[in-house]
Amino acid sequence: MLTIEGIDAGYGATTILQGVSLEVKAGEVVTIVGANGAGKSTTLRTIAGLITPTAGRISFEGQDITRTAAHEVVDLGITLIPEGRQLFPDMTVRENLLMGAYRKAARAAQAETLEEVLQLFPRVRERMNQQASSLSGGEQQMVAIARGMMARPKLLMFDEPSLGLAPIIVSQVFEVIGKIAATGTTVLIVEQNVFSTLKASDRGYVLENGEIALSGAAEALLRDDHVRQAYLGI
Amino acid sequence: MNIFLQLVANGLMLGGLFAIISIGLTLIFGIVKVVNFAHGEFLMAGMYLTWIITVGLGLHPYVTVLAVAPFLFVLGAMTQRFLIQPLLLARDDHVQIFATVGLSTALINLALLIFGADIANTPASGLRAPVQIGPVRILEGQVYIFIAAVLLVIGLQLFLSRTQTGRAIRAVAQNRAAAQLMGINVDRIYVLSFGIGAACVGLAASLVAPLYPVSSTIGTYFVLTAFVVVVLGGLGSIVGAFVGAMIIGLIDSMAGFYIGSDLREAVVFGVFLVILILKPSGLFGTRVSLSHIS
Amino acid sequence: MQRTETFAPPAARPVYLRPAALALATVLAALFLIPVVVGDAFIYHVFITICIFAGLSTAWNIVGGYAGQLSLGHAMFYGIGAYAGMILMNMGVSPWIGMFAGAAVAVVASVVISYPCFRLHGPFFALATIAFLEVFRVLALHFRDVTGGAMGMMIELKLGWEWMVFRERLPALVIAYGMMLVCLGVAWAIREHRLGYYLVATRERESAAKAAGVQTVRVRLLAVSASAALTAMMGTFHAMYLTFIEPAAVFSLTFSIQIAMFALIGGIGTIYGPLLGAVLLVPLTEIARGALGAQALGLHGFVYGVVLLLVVLFMPNGIMGALSRFTREKAAETPSQAGPVVSMPRAETRPPLGAEVMRVEGLQKHFGGLHVTNNVSFTLREGEILGLIGPNGAGKTTVFNMISGFMRPNGGTVSVLDRDGKMHQPVSPGDFAALGVGRTFQIVQPFASMTVEENIMVGAFYRHPHVNDAREVARETAHRMGLAPWLHAEARGLTIGGLKRLEVARVMAMQPRILLLDEVMAGINQTDVRRAIDLMLSIRDTGVSIIAIEHVMQAVMSLSDRVIVLSSGEIIAEGKPQDVVRDPQVIEAYLGKDFVHADH
Repeated sequence: MLTIEGIDAGYGATTILQGVSLEVKAGEVVTIVGANGAGKSTTLRTIAGLITPTAGRISFEGQDITRTAAHEVVDLGITLIPEGRQLFPDMTVRENLLMGAYRKAARAAQAETLEEVLQLFPRVRERMNQQASSLSGGEQQMVAIARGMMARPKLLMFDEPSLGLAPIIVSQVFEVIGKIAATGTTVLIVEQNVFSTLKASDRGYVLENGEIALSGAAEALLRDDHVRQAYLGI
Repeated sequence: MNIFLQLVANGLMLGGLFAIISIGLTLIFGIVKVVNFAHGEFLMAGMYLTWIITVGLGLHPYVTVLAVAPFLFVLGAMTQRFLIQPLLLARDDHVQIFATVGLSTALINLALLIFGADIANTPASGLRAPVQIGPVRILEGQVYIFIAAVLLVIGLQLFLSRTQTGRAIRAVAQNRAAAQLMGINVDRIYVLSFGIGAACVGLAASLVAPLYPVSSTIGTYFVLTAFVVVVLGGLGSIVGAFVGAMIIGLIDSMAGFYIGSDLREAVVFGVFLVILILKPSGLFGTRVSLSHIS
Repeated sequence: MQRTETFAPPAARPVYLRPAALALATVLAALFLIPVVVGDAFIYHVFITICIFAGLSTAWNIVGGYAGQLSLGHAMFYGIGAYAGMILMNMGVSPWIGMFAGAAVAVVASVVISYPCFRLHGPFFALATIAFLEVFRVLALHFRDVTGGAMGMMIELKLGWEWMVFRERLPALVIAYGMMLVCLGVAWAIREHRLGYYLVATRERESAAKAAGVQTVRVRLLAVSASAALTAMMGTFHAMYLTFIEPAAVFSLTFSIQIAMFALIGGIGTIYGPLLGAVLLVPLTEIARGALGAQALGLHGFVYGVVLLLVVLFMPNGIMGALSRFTREKAAETPSQAGPVVSMPRAETRPPLGAEVMRVEGLQKHFGGLHVTNNVSFTLREGEILGLIGPNGAGKTTVFNMISGFMRPNGGTVSVLDRDGKMHQPVSPGDFAALGVGRTFQIVQPFASMTVEENIMVGAFYRHPHVNDAREVARETAHRMGLAPWLHAEARGLTIGGLKRLEVARVMAMQPRILLLDEVMAGINQTDVRRAIDLMLSIRDTGVSIIAIEHVMQAVMSLSDRVIVLSSGEIIAEGKPQDVVRDPQVIEAYLGKDFVHADH
């Protein structure tokens, strides 16, 4: 579904990714793990079109999207739920969710999608008319995920969904991700919470210093000595 | 007492004038995050166009808005597309400031080249006639400006909150990166917003021209006050700009009478500096950071 | 450090033979000789005007360029100088004295105006300066007893050197030229000394400059004072030269914009850019004015505006920037591979832990209702390495901000021991730096437009005020940190790993006693992690205490004497690293409940 071949990318003159290649098949849940600063977020932002790679190729469903602008990537069915929620602070929760359905393919069905999404997030339904900035961190993360789903994406990407959340909320977030994957949506997650994420995934990539150091089935990675030592501390 | 009421009325009418000039400025800042130093020259261009059409075709000045607003929309959209957009990546303060300062300098002097140093009077079409409302007398044109300012505020608010495009504009203003992730074409929204902001100035130009003679430096005269109004109201806040305009209008009117007409401006700018230094977010701009906006 | 010398730019030729120096000398000589040789009054006038604008623009550049504070109200200082000179002259005081009086008033005005405006950035600073200028203009119009109001002011005609007024043109050129040289000299001196580095650093990253011990407000006030004084002195002379002034012309926004514009077009922030801008553009105005008169009303202004637009779009660094792109030598070619961090020889035995050097008690911080830090207390001893770990968002960086003065806690205290063994409670980043607390930033904060060497020098200046000493220390530090190959590359071109090391190098150059390191290992490779660990241990062995926020567990385990674990703003565990990682609470906070159930 998504193929990345040898991309280099970074900010300005600073290169962060060097020759990263990875692949996501339809219906999979794939994780990219790695330390802070390894380039995980940069990878997702490059796929989303927020950063244009300086080398390499990205394709989605056979179409080259290496240089496609961010808003057009969304139109093709890739949605990124950014790190740190990034809600529209002065809009209500309802307005935030409707912005999620801005994509042409999602606009017509936005009422039905909203209903479906709210089934998954009963707490969000109670907050519909509140300003997004007045929500707690956990609630904001739920709204951010719900907003991402409103686009009815084929590929949903999560950037550090557990960031800054209490452990109890983190497990709820992973529960929700599991449910989303169960609906057949393809999922690509970037996380520092290595254990929980790999548990919820089919396959994983380990990113170190902007390069893929290791990849394989999630279970195999969880048993891998290097991963256990470097990321699980055991 | 009558004098005081008259001063209040004058202040409010002046406020209406400041409001209609300032709304476009605050809109552009709120969305594109660019302080448009050429805003006053947009007004000047609009007033000259109004003058040309009214004198040339003998039309009522208010009719010219049909040509002036679209003209300024295009001028604004082009400014964004060909001047600001290439510089947005740089995100460098001095480059952005000098870009619009340069545009302002070029436009002022272009007007000077074309129209010379003399002032041009748009026919008043009866709009300078005084009307008596209760104990106070004001000009007919001022009343229309005030009404237009109120309608413009309401119209823009409805547009921004009720339409899909309006919501997209607000989304871009609140979080540019997230808006992109929703599939919004941010560059297009910026061009559109700059155009709308400039078109608002076009409306202002057609309404103001019958009351004030136009010259190449008319923009500088008004724009400094517009900056005061917009900072006072909170940059980016449309309602704030309206309230700010009323406050500045009243201060201007009162200071002119009680302190001395030649010190009016000093008082207004004094207020401006106090606001800028003590509460730079203005009365309504709680979220807009005045430092580097990313 | 012999071997670092090889990285110096190929500047072996004597200064006077370098092409840039030759070009400068030629321009300066021509500015004086051409009018003298031609002898035409109009040419004299053009060149005098060039000198005046070059001087004004050079003075503006100290604030607008070096310090990055975009003033569009500089005409107020010019006006102060002009009126002070004129008023005093008409009272019988020579403008040679009057110009210092004007400069003094301008300095006071500039400090009073700038101090509250420093919290404003970019366009808002510019707007505030415009507003002040307008206030000055209105006041000058109002107090007509002093200024003559809108009618303006004429000088009483008194000729001779004493009065700065002459029938012939040569003496005026001598004065204008001399004053321009003074402006250039001051601008050069500032840029080439510590103040200049501090100004540029403050412009590039104010927080990083503060962390490096720069008193950012003070250096900016110094810059503004120097600039205002020079501008006012120029104003005095210009008034004498014009023999007539009025508020609209003197306190003019257009005039202010022009001054700034020459600097931008020539090359903002460079020493000689403003000179170049004035040399190229002033003749245009004057010739248009002289040749076409009233017909060309607005023509030169229009050309100025268009040139400004073109420069902004296609040459944002001005002519100097465009020139240096062509002449830049190999120095800018950065090697693509990361240089190794030099492993340091270490002492056989580490010194014992010393006295308590930092004590943190009951730190509280909340943003709105959200508690980011809740009752955090710990101590740090001399020569100790304290690891600070916890999941992202646990509040580690917030704690760092509070123990380095960048954020005021809502409750609790931070005490730091000074060199004489007394405990202090510092408040500002400057206080912390003075007590020897140095920090890095998690999100790297390089001074992007400065070279690696200059970046580190900003830190080194803290203990070595002289440029050459600071450069020496910077090179040595760069070598230790494996940054030597990039000494002359701009910081913006480094990789993320390089920037992390630059961050550490800058703070190391300050020779701190307490080092706060925020995730310096993130994004560097395994070999370098091991070397970085050795480096930190060797730093510790010299008696420096370190608090390190770190995610790389390998580093945390082998470095730390003690580890503190933060979760949701609270300390949930503290102790030896081996014990802490086995704490069930820690495992849950880091790895989630599932993990605890799965493995235990």
